Amino acid sequence: MIKITELEKVYRTEEVETVALNKLSIEVKEGEFVAVMGPSGCGKSTLLNILGMLDDPDDGSFVFNGIEVAHFNERKRADLRKNNIGFVFQSFNLIDELTVFENVELPLIYTGVKTAERKKRVEEVLDKVQIMHRRNHYPQQLSGGQQQRVAVARAVVNHPKLILADEPTGNLDSNNGNEVMQLLTELNEQGTTIVMVTHSEHDARYSHRIIRMLDGQTVTENILI
Amino acid sequence: MFNNYFKIAFRNLWKNKAFSFINIAGLAVGMASAILILLWIQNEMSHDHFHEKADRIYTLNNRDKFNGDLWAWSWTPKILGPTVKQDYPEVEDAVRTNNGTFLLSVGDKHLNAQGYFTDTGFLSMFSFPLVNGNISTALNSINKIVITQEFSKKLFGNDNAMGKMIKIDSTDNFTVSGVLKDLPNNTKFDFEYLLPWSYMSKIGYDDSSWGNNSVQTYVLLKNNVSQKTFDAKIRNITIDHTKNTGDQSTTQVFTQKLSDQWLYSKSENGQYVGGRIETVKLFAIIAAFILLIACINFMNLSTARSEKRAKEVGIRKAVGAQKRLLVIQFIGESIILAFIAFILAVLVVELSLPGFNDLVDKKLYIDWSNVSYWLFAIGFILFTGVLAGSYPAFYLSSYKPVKVLKGTFKAGQALITPRKVLVVLQFTFAIALIICTIIVERQIQYAESRDSGYVRDKLVYTFIQGDVSKHYDLIRNELIAGGAAVSVTKSMSPITQRYSDGWGWSWPGATEDDKKTDFVRMASDADFAKTLGVEILQGRDIDIYKYSTDSTAMMLNQSAVKIMRLKNPVGAVVEADGRQWHVVGVVKDFIYESPYEKVEQLAIFGPKSWFTTIHFKLNPANSTQKDLQLAETVFKKYNPQYPVTFNFADESYALKFEEEKRTGTLAALFAGLTIFISCLGLFGLATYMAENRIKEIGVRKVLGASVIGITSLLSKDFLKLVIISLLVATPIAWWAMYTWLKTYTYHIPVEWWVFVLAGLLSIAIALLTVSYQSIKAAIANPAKSLRTE
Repeated sequence: MIKITELEKVYRTEEVETVALNKLSIEVKEGEFVAVMGPSGCGKSTLLNILGMLDDPDDGSFVFNGIEVAHFNERKRADLRKNNIGFVFQSFNLIDELTVFENVELPLIYTGVKTAERKKRVEEVLDKVQIMHRRNHYPQQLSGGQQQRVAVARAVVNHPKLILADEPTGNLDSNNGNEVMQLLTELNEQGTTIVMVTHSEHDARYSHRIIRMLDGQTVTENILI
Repeated sequence: MFNNYFKIAFRNLWKNKAFSFINIAGLAVGMASAILILLWIQNEMSHDHFHEKADRIYTLNNRDKFNGDLWAWSWTPKILGPTVKQDYPEVEDAVRTNNGTFLLSVGDKHLNAQGYFTDTGFLSMFSFPLVNGNISTALNSINKIVITQEFSKKLFGNDNAMGKMIKIDSTDNFTVSGVLKDLPNNTKFDFEYLLPWSYMSKIGYDDSSWGNNSVQTYVLLKNNVSQKTFDAKIRNITIDHTKNTGDQSTTQVFTQKLSDQWLYSKSENGQYVGGRIETVKLFAIIAAFILLIACINFMNLSTARSEKRAKEVGIRKAVGAQKRLLVIQFIGESIILAFIAFILAVLVVELSLPGFNDLVDKKLYIDWSNVSYWLFAIGFILFTGVLAGSYPAFYLSSYKPVKVLKGTFKAGQALITPRKVLVVLQFTFAIALIICTIIVERQIQYAESRDSGYVRDKLVYTFIQGDVSKHYDLIRNELIAGGAAVSVTKSMSPITQRYSDGWGWSWPGATEDDKKTDFVRMASDADFAKTLGVEILQGRDIDIYKYSTDSTAMMLNQSAVKIMRLKNPVGAVVEADGRQWHVVGVVKDFIYESPYEKVEQLAIFGPKSWFTTIHFKLNPANSTQKDLQLAETVFKKYNPQYPVTFNFADESYALKFEEEKRTGTLAALFAGLTIFISCLGLFGLATYMAENRIKEIGVRKVLGASVIGITSLLSKDFLKLVIISLLVATPIAWWAMYTWLKTYTYHIPVEWWVFVLAGLLSIAIALLTVSYQSIKAAIANPAKSLRTE
């Protein structure tokens, strides 16, 4: 599904040049659950952003579903993203002014799904993450775990092929964290590819494979199953 | 999707009430100001455009050289209208108007009112519809009168006026042959009734002189006649008709479109080049700036608090929103805001229209029955929304989701941010307006303090009407004997106005060129200088009661003596208007026209000329009220039919400052509004600044900074902007005021302290505005603010 080859990303400010990705090559197969680990600043978040097409690489190749996307413009990336990729962030990133229902509905709006169909699909997914009873609440009225479940619901409502999770349990206690990991595992079992960045060895154990990074390169890959 | 946008927009408005209030209030005030000005502009621009035949109606004008300059004016000879109609096949019709003020009586009701003598074709040339009566016959015989609906109400109440009798000047009876719909608020015509020209001929006001320019002439050109070719044909009409008459004229005739006359009436080099259009343009600029300043508030506050919405942008982009959709969303939001502000603005406009109408002396209103007003409203909302929303929309939607979603996003602290530029723009405009306001006020004070050359205190005048002329000697004697007045004089016009001027005069030593010198005419029977308090420099006052030869006496003012180069003016003989006048005195220049201009040459004629006005000086021994009561009894006794109206010279003199005072008040009003809107924005910015720097303030306080230190730290940034604005505004305002003052002969210099004062004022206002937030931030407990991280 994902094949990146010799990917490079350098951040430049006036005085400092930081190499975030240094000729990185990774492959992720469809249906895989991959955890990316490494110390802060190793480039894992940059990798995730490029995979999510929120950022573009300076050099190298990024093939997504057989299409070279490394040099797509913003509009094309937005198109590809909205139909294929769901995001789960450490800080949930729900829109405070929208209710649970409306937050989850958002990706469907941008893919042009009709109102009735939207309602059906949002309710389905809210049911699945067991937050249906809170559908009319605003994010600040929910606990962290509940907020992250909403965020997961939003990530999957569009049936994306790929979910990118950036430290999804980073802001949660262990109970809530486990619930969310459980949810991701279920999604993976239903066929969704997952790439997750994490600091937690515990969470990483939910995945099939752990990619360890240092200074913009992979150092080891552990296959867990 | 739009549903989602609406939800977000309204919830954002509701959640950030202070921000919404500042934005909406600022925008509403800005929009209300712009709407008021636009209503005024619309009224000005539409003057006399409503006539169905407007594209073919032209005014006839004269052009000639006086005192070395080429002048254009719209007063024409009475004979011109019938002549062009008869001799030029291009002319479909020609109509003249001549102003007249008469006493109109119905039973016991007597009203002094202004009307026009006009030709039969008036009602078919212009689109002033009749409510009752027939356009073609309404003015076709000598004793018919057409009145406006409003005037009909004054005379006849709610009765149908058609066919009823009105007595004019207690002598002639007229039958109402038509009732006009009241004149619209966008016409230069101003009358309450129309009388047939034939009546004017009957009472001896008509003449066929080519040299007496006293009426307005309008022509309706046939279809397909071009103005240019017609102008070429009529240019020499007056010159040709005065050939070999001994009174050869050099005056050329030309046309001006009626619909242009209102805006273009200022003559320069024989052309109409400007006039009210200049004010219209100026106010259009002011309206645009006030709206822009209100929009800038929106831009600044939206971008200042953008960090709060950056997350939303990031999420939306992450779930697939394209930049275009986000731009549409944000512009949509500002259009919603503009819509709410517009509703408030219309409320403000409706509430302030009566006051504004008083101020600008108009009858403006919002015509909700007119579709174009609705279309304009929609256009105005969209325009404002897009103007205010476009910059924030592009600014917000260009955020990179990568940066904002990590939660570490902070907006940049660039040296010159667009936000600072916008604040400078706002304050530049505000400061420039403050400077202009002060200078306009100073100029009015300066002109008011100029010595008028006569004593206005207790000086009263009234117009000669009805039997006053016949019993003038008795009235004069009784006013003095009865103790109402100490001195009385008859004159050609009130001292505050010029009614007449003329040229072609000669005097000892005069050259052929001197015939082109234009003199203002006034007149007196006796006691002119005594009554008005004008100083006599040489010779004596005219006094027909003492010297019977004074019927052809003349007094000159200083300027006249100078331009005539008379060494010994007293005793000189001046030939003017076909008569010889002997100069008996010279008076010091007094201001009869504009207090801003040089006093022009003037001659005061003896009783062989004509009179319209009686001036009298009230008896200082009595109260003014008692003097007026006594005077009224005298006038009532000899002229019982007419209502008595006394005018005070000081009030009439004050009217000369009306236009400038209006300009001054409007400048002050808009300066105030601009400052208000700008300060709203500044307050909002200060709020966000205090919020954003909360951690910095906490750290500084922990390290020992004082409240004063922090307050000044926070206020300093804004002060810098205001000072830059002052530097930008100074040359602009200086240039504008220099140009404005130059249009007056008597004017103040542009003084440096005005700029200092305006600068100090704006700094004080800006400091007051930001200090609340600065002090609040400075006295906050640092333990609390540091915990926010």
